[in-house]
Amino acid sequence: MLDVLFPSGIDTLHGFRRPRFLTGLYQRVVRRLSGYSALPDAGAARCLAAPATRWTGPTVVVGAGRAGRAAVRRLVAAGERPLVLDRALRVPEVPGADLLPGSTATFLPPPSGDPDRPFTLLGYSEPARGFAVRARRVVVATGGYDAGLLFGGNDRPGVVTAEGAFALTPTPGAGPLRRAVVIGGGDRAAAAIDRLHESVVAVVAPGEIRPEVVRRASELGVPLFPRTLVRSVVGRRRVRGLRLESRGGGASFSVDGDSVVLAHRRLPHAQLFFQAGARMGWRAGTGAYYPEVSDAGATSVPGLYAAGTGAGVVPDDAEASGERAAAAALAAPIDGPPPRWIPRDGPSEMEGYYRELLAGPRPGRWVACPCEDVLLGEIEEAHRAGYRGIEVVKRYTGVGTGLCQGRYCLPDTLLLLARLEQRSPPEVGYITQRPPVHPTPLAALAALRDEFPAEATP
Amino acid sequence: MTLARSEYRTIVVGAGIVGLFTAYHLARAGAGPILVVDRGFLSNGGSGRNGGGVRQQWETRSTIRLAREAVADYRRFSSEFGYNIWFRQGGYLFLADSPTELARLARVHAVVRAEGLPSELLDADAVGARLDGLAPGAVLGGSYLRSDGTLYPFPAVWGVYEAARRLGVEVALGVDCRGVTVRDGRVAGVATSAGTVATGTLVNAAGGWSGDLSRSAGLDVPNVASRHEILATEPTKPFLDPMVVRASDGLYFSQTMRGELVGGLTVPHPPGTARGVPSSPRFLTAMAGALVGLWPRLGALGVLRAWTGFYDDTPDGLPIVGADPRLAGFVHANGFGGHGFMLAPAATRRVAAAVLGERVDLDPAEFSPGRFVGRTTPTTVERLQLG
Ligand SMILES: Cc1cc2nc3c(=O)[nH]c(=O)nc-3n(C[C@H](O)[C@H](O)[C@H](O)COP(=O)(O)OP(=O)(O)OC[C@H]3O[C@@H](n4cnc5c(N)ncnc54)[C@H](O)[C@@H]3O)c2cc1C
Repeated sequence: MLDVLFPSGIDTLHGFRRPRFLTGLYQRVVRRLSGYSALPDAGAARCLAAPATRWTGPTVVVGAGRAGRAAVRRLVAAGERPLVLDRALRVPEVPGADLLPGSTATFLPPPSGDPDRPFTLLGYSEPARGFAVRARRVVVATGGYDAGLLFGGNDRPGVVTAEGAFALTPTPGAGPLRRAVVIGGGDRAAAAIDRLHESVVAVVAPGEIRPEVVRRASELGVPLFPRTLVRSVVGRRRVRGLRLESRGGGASFSVDGDSVVLAHRRLPHAQLFFQAGARMGWRAGTGAYYPEVSDAGATSVPGLYAAGTGAGVVPDDAEASGERAAAAALAAPIDGPPPRWIPRDGPSEMEGYYRELLAGPRPGRWVACPCEDVLLGEIEEAHRAGYRGIEVVKRYTGVGTGLCQGRYCLPDTLLLLARLEQRSPPEVGYITQRPPVHPTPLAALAALRDEFPAEATP
Repeated sequence: MTLARSEYRTIVVGAGIVGLFTAYHLARAGAGPILVVDRGFLSNGGSGRNGGGVRQQWETRSTIRLAREAVADYRRFSSEFGYNIWFRQGGYLFLADSPTELARLARVHAVVRAEGLPSELLDADAVGARLDGLAPGAVLGGSYLRSDGTLYPFPAVWGVYEAARRLGVEVALGVDCRGVTVRDGRVAGVATSAGTVATGTLVNAAGGWSGDLSRSAGLDVPNVASRHEILATEPTKPFLDPMVVRASDGLYFSQTMRGELVGGLTVPHPPGTARGVPSSPRFLTAMAGALVGLWPRLGALGVLRAWTGFYDDTPDGLPIVGADPRLAGFVHANGFGGHGFMLAPAATRRVAAAVLGERVDLDPAEFSPGRFVGRTTPTTVERLQLG
């Protein structure tokens, strides 16, 4: 109809139709709607103009969690003075090591030809101080993060990851989440229950529920729902409960609650390995790519070591893997049993979960990519239009191109596409990880502008 | 992957914007069957990695004319192809940071004006009025043309891809062209990863890899693949209308419809395709330094991602369009440097004409593949290159 009335131009990308003479107005409106906030003014930018931090030494350890700290202790014991950096603003000192807290490593290019200092690690310290670290060896122990989950209304206020819930809950039981439904049945769910404590009203797991979670829940007298599909949020403006369904065609029912805490799946912060050119491999256990690592912790890139859950080690062995990676970096003998790894093969819990979930009804908004507001339906539409593979679907829908650069949405998108394309997730694609890992202020990078001489032209 | 036929009238290598537009024009002329092969996914070449800039301010009149025609094409694109490419004509603002650059912009301005386009020369204050808070003394003046602009490259690729397929073009993704078979001095077919296919005409639209492809067919060509990097920041509310460029160091940046600042800078890298397209810390820091040095208020913006692609450079800065005089059936649609996206709709009309054996309305001394054969100094050079 509109085509007939306004034959000069109808724009249709993603379904929006308008006559051509309104182009200018329409573009102005759309531009206003885009963007997260206004560009900070010149004053704010001036405050950020700080000189960069430079550090040079034998070994840098990225991440001061259990694995990273164990690695640092081992390096110090061998007489080194390593640098350890972590995103957290408050990190306990490790005697004998240099510490850069509040610092995010965002770019680890592949090693250069310089045999003394092959690695340069770039990043920024809060709020916008750039750093450049040159080292002979890098131990990456960046751990993981809580994955998102697809269900109707998953963008509703009240849906948070466990990490988000922890930030909102300074001391056990305190904070704004009063009636939380915890999703998950493993150690992350157990940690969530410990922190939220009496605020937990139910525990719902996509798969089985482990004994430590069962024990905690029964202590609190909280109901448990193992092998359950999360179908949708109850409540229009905010979370008032969850609609659930027992797996295998079981009954539908609801639970009440004011929040949903996602603690069902930990994904690795593996971007630095990708950037450095390390060989990566799929681990079906969580459904994610990890670096290929020897039992000692060596990646395929000489001088780059991996430790902890970000390397694919099970949480209980994180510390031991940190020590082993440090020993390997020192070329020292390694003792103790090899760490246990997240399984490579076998059924991927979430793959089966989504197959079952998505065969059923889909009430409400199913947001695949919260940063760019891409809906599940748009991914399916791209598939119907003949676009295949994650690289193409990412460009077609915009999924994974926002602030988090796909950390939250691409792992699930991979599972969705695997289901649609009837291929295994690693066949659907390898997600190119582009630097930087986290948004890095231009001011921080600008302060490092003299750090990199031109590449030699042969 | 299996191909539908064993013989095609024309095979296009490269499913970037140039290859797809070529196939589209050919299909509209009823010149099928046509096959487009690409070893990668859709948009994996320069067409999925560029800055989306479309400008008509050039040093050479022939480039201005092609660009002008392409602007008209892109203005019509949405209705013709049913895809919104977000072509926004916010202008191109060239900045001069030295008297030499100022003189160059004045020369360009004269040529652009002579072609009938209303470009304006701006003094430092007029530039400052458009870009609030520039570093003192960073800019001596500039030139501006309102009808230049930016577009969003992906939907343009999808639009042409889908339109070409609707017209019967077969697009085989994930199929590598491994060599050209020559019989009796003319193209007889191509060897692909999906088998050997017969054809009388091959169009080399392989972007940064087109030099590799021509050379694999025994043709000595001057194409050089050069690596160029680009970054995008986190999206903010609109604060910048034009694409801002500085020819002295190849800096360019614009704000997309989504609110991201997208831009690049010339950073020299070793030539050739062998090293792939990694991002370098040198680019990230030099680009950040250039942006913040020019416009300090950008300092608080966070860089979201950086990526890299190939320019397909020629010695005279002009593309190579037309039939190769040394090998019958081998047609070039390459050498587009850093401006193939904006020229594609117009330039590929001439490629299609060359394939069909029709007259090509371009000066052979400027665009034909033959211009490099046995010659070292080009007649015309387009020097206004960016990024
Ligand atoms: C960082 C950057 C910024 C840019 N900014 C702009 C801009 O603002 N405006 C503008 O107009 N242009 C810009 N360009 C240039 C523009 O992107 C290119 O000129 C244009 O996209 C070229 O299109 P194409 O179709 O010729 O090549 P491509 O899009 O590169 O497509 C070539 C295709 O050929 C395939 N291929 C190659 N060899 C083979 C083979 N042997 N077998 C099978 N397939 C093969 C490749 O996989 C590729 O998909 C920029 C480029 C870069 C890198």
